Amino acid sequence: MTAETQNSDSAAMRFEILRAAVKDGAAARVGRLAFAGRTPIDTPNFIGTTSRGALPHLTPDTVGKHLQVTGAYMALEDFIERPQQYLKRIPPIYSTPTTAKHHTRLHSFTAMPQSVTTVLSARRLPAVPSPMGNTNASVSVFTSTGFQILPTKEYLSAVQALEPDIAIPPADLTHSPITPNSKRALRMAERTDEWVVEWFSELADANSRISTFAPILPISYSIQWEYISRLAEDYLPTAQLSGLAIYDADLVPDLADHCAALLPLPRLSLANPPTPHHILRQIALGIDLFTLPFINTISDAGLALSFSFPPPDTSSSPTTNGSSSTRSLQPLAIDLSLPHHATAATTPLSPNCTCHACTAHHSAYVHHLLAAREMLGWTLLQIHNHAVVSAFFAGVRDALLQGDIKRFEEGARQFALAYEPEFPEGVGQKPRARGYQYKSVGDGEARRNKAAWGKLEGGEGEGEGAGEKGEKGV
Amino acid sequence: MASNRTFTSPALSFELVARCSVTRARASILTLPHGTVNLPIFMPVATQASLKGLTPEQLEGTGCKLCLNNTYHLGLKPGQEVLDAVGGAHKLQGWNRNILTDSGGFQMVSLLKLANITEEGVRFLSPHDGSPMLLTPEHSMSLQNSIGSDIMMQLDDVLVTTSPDKARMREAMERSVRWLDRCIAAHKKPETQNLFCIIQGGLDLDMRRECCREMLARDTPGIAIGGLSGGEAKDDFCKVVATCTELLPDLKPRYVMGIGYPEDLVVSVALGADMFDCVWPTRTARFGNAVTKHGVLNMKREMFAADFGPIEEGCGCPCCRPVEEEGAMGITRAFVHHNAAKETAAAHLLTLHNVWYQLDLMRQAREAIIADQFPPFVKDFFGNLYSEKSSYPPWAVDALKGVGIDLLET
Ligand SMILES: [Zn+2]
Ligand SMILES: [Zn+2]
Repeated sequence: MTAETQNSDSAAMRFEILRAAVKDGAAARVGRLAFAGRTPIDTPNFIGTTSRGALPHLTPDTVGKHLQVTGAYMALEDFIERPQQYLKRIPPIYSTPTTAKHHTRLHSFTAMPQSVTTVLSARRLPAVPSPMGNTNASVSVFTSTGFQILPTKEYLSAVQALEPDIAIPPADLTHSPITPNSKRALRMAERTDEWVVEWFSELADANSRISTFAPILPISYSIQWEYISRLAEDYLPTAQLSGLAIYDADLVPDLADHCAALLPLPRLSLANPPTPHHILRQIALGIDLFTLPFINTISDAGLALSFSFPPPDTSSSPTTNGSSSTRSLQPLAIDLSLPHHATAATTPLSPNCTCHACTAHHSAYVHHLLAAREMLGWTLLQIHNHAVVSAFFAGVRDALLQGDIKRFEEGARQFALAYEPEFPEGVGQKPRARGYQYKSVGDGEARRNKAAWGKLEGGEGEGEGAGEKGEKGV
Repeated sequence: MASNRTFTSPALSFELVARCSVTRARASILTLPHGTVNLPIFMPVATQASLKGLTPEQLEGTGCKLCLNNTYHLGLKPGQEVLDAVGGAHKLQGWNRNILTDSGGFQMVSLLKLANITEEGVRFLSPHDGSPMLLTPEHSMSLQNSIGSDIMMQLDDVLVTTSPDKARMREAMERSVRWLDRCIAAHKKPETQNLFCIIQGGLDLDMRRECCREMLARDTPGIAIGGLSGGEAKDDFCKVVATCTELLPDLKPRYVMGIGYPEDLVVSVALGADMFDCVWPTRTARFGNAVTKHGVLNMKREMFAADFGPIEEGCGCPCCRPVEEEGAMGITRAFVHHNAAKETAAAHLLTLHNVWYQLDLMRQAREAIIADQFPPFVKDFFGNLYSEKSSYPPWAVDALKGVGIDLLET
């Protein structure tokens, strides 16, 4: 198929757009992303965020059996540490033998179920900012043994050795919440452009099993337009470019305005939306696939996600026309460490959930496990929280498939009115810090608490960027 | 009620299936309120109603039919009130197979230095608020009735076996007998829960014999040999087990409390014991240790960083079997090394492997007993564990010689 028919295919990947809200431009859409040998991913959807190749607290058998997750984000920096005594050792993952079922090194080393689509990037999500910064030929990464230089060429050969289903070329990112000045932003675009050129020339006749999702930088379109145009003109026609890895969802409307050729490509958001409100807003902007590091953080905090889409009907409660201030907001998550869950007996972790944690177990058990600091508590919360987010996306897809865009927009409006803007804090003690990763988790939390979800309403209105500055009242 | 091969009591039946023609090893079937259990058996310890990160479903997948919960811990968290509200420990943890609970006494003596034992019970300071508390035989029974365990243990007066104080040892043994009587009187659900007695008496074999006689007179459905997880010499340990099993009836299960090293299990089976428990296999998993038939391997060592073999070659656990097989993960040593002490999932994988190893060791012993091939099984076991016969532990050689196996013969 060609771009004109709203499908994007490469040798190993097929992306089919089943329903798009608008003919031209970007908006919420329903699709199906399929890789040979993996379970197809119905979009909009999310993939799991791994730490060191594992979904935190979950063994691969549990992932295969009880998680609906069909994709996993992995970071090369999780596999290439150089222990002090073994500075010269070659990362073992590069020499992993493959098997009939685990036919890529990445799957084989991590024992990730074969049905799961893998995404490989250089950095974890969220990434720890490096004090050293990147150079013209390398990105600075953070491993369990400290900061390390990763030459872009080494990353390329790692990708070829590991054969992820989706590979994200190196991007010159600061990983800082501070917006780079225009000089730095320009250098980001130029470097990324060079690295992507290098990437495609090296991968040109290499393994066609790897699909490249090119980074779209979190800087304004006007600074990276040359780079983006190159993607569309040089690498789209050759089918080398399979998708986009978007670090700021607000760039999607610009892509639609200026580079329509890229629209049929699947869009993976690496923008770490901190709440489901942010997810809905990014779906409305046209994001197909999400990485959601907040799920792991929420589980560690002893919280059970409790939101659904569309939100439960609250129309019976009286409201003043046009005002949301009188309605009591539902929490996005339930803090199972709170004492009243001790005797909540046999109720599921959140109402109506049918995940393994909620059918084989109940909130009183998870409360006990959290109080006793038993690791199984976090395991069961991971199963539940991934299930809630899966159901949330299924609800979004249903709304988009059944009605026109209005049904989704109405659902999103109701969602904003029904739920609190942020997750509760979580009074429970988190798992013992497992070393270096905690730097990055801390970073994620800081962002979560400051974020402005109110952008959704702004985005729905005509005025672009209405919610840009700070938070909106609820 | 006892026939030739079967003993039945209200909440238990015990069927002797086979006996080793050389040693005292036995194979039997123990039927409890939550299903049938093949003996000999190793019971993993789910201290706080959870086995260190394994889901009850994963534990079930290892073939485990009987696991332990600790009464002391469940009494603190979630507490008796919650246990009653939820409907017991099976419902609390979503485990429909059997549970055995200890009395809570041992934990108090070992965890709480300030515990003080009187005729009334064990006095200690609450770890919550430091207030004085008292665990009596009656309170222990009440807690274990709330837990609903299939096998409950009597409260006993536990003393380290190495204590030199003979008078105190005798006092503890005699008090344990008196406490058994109080436990029997206080037990509210004998028709659905089994109460086992615990034989005490330290390393004094005569005192052990005396205790056996007293305890057996109370006719509990099963019998435990207690007080042996301390620092006693392995020779002494074996003598105590052998002395007790000699006096115990054939048609009741025999439980040696708190042991779990593979050699200890194999030798104790040869001495005629049926049931064992220990936190070691699951605790050592969290330090990155894999239990294998060739000994304990620490997966954190650099030599495993690029070792792409399974944790143990030939192991049938879900981690070690090749991923192409049904329900298998194809985990490599390299992946466990990569995440040991870094991601909890690595500890869960090793826990799964180690529990499987211990259960499978007892399954193999059982099959060997039924086939009357137990002595060669024991020899193979030690042959795999040690590269030289000269490094076999003397205590094991001696203990096995006492029941007809000469490990050193060629
Ligand atoms: Zn659930
Ligand atoms: Zn194994």
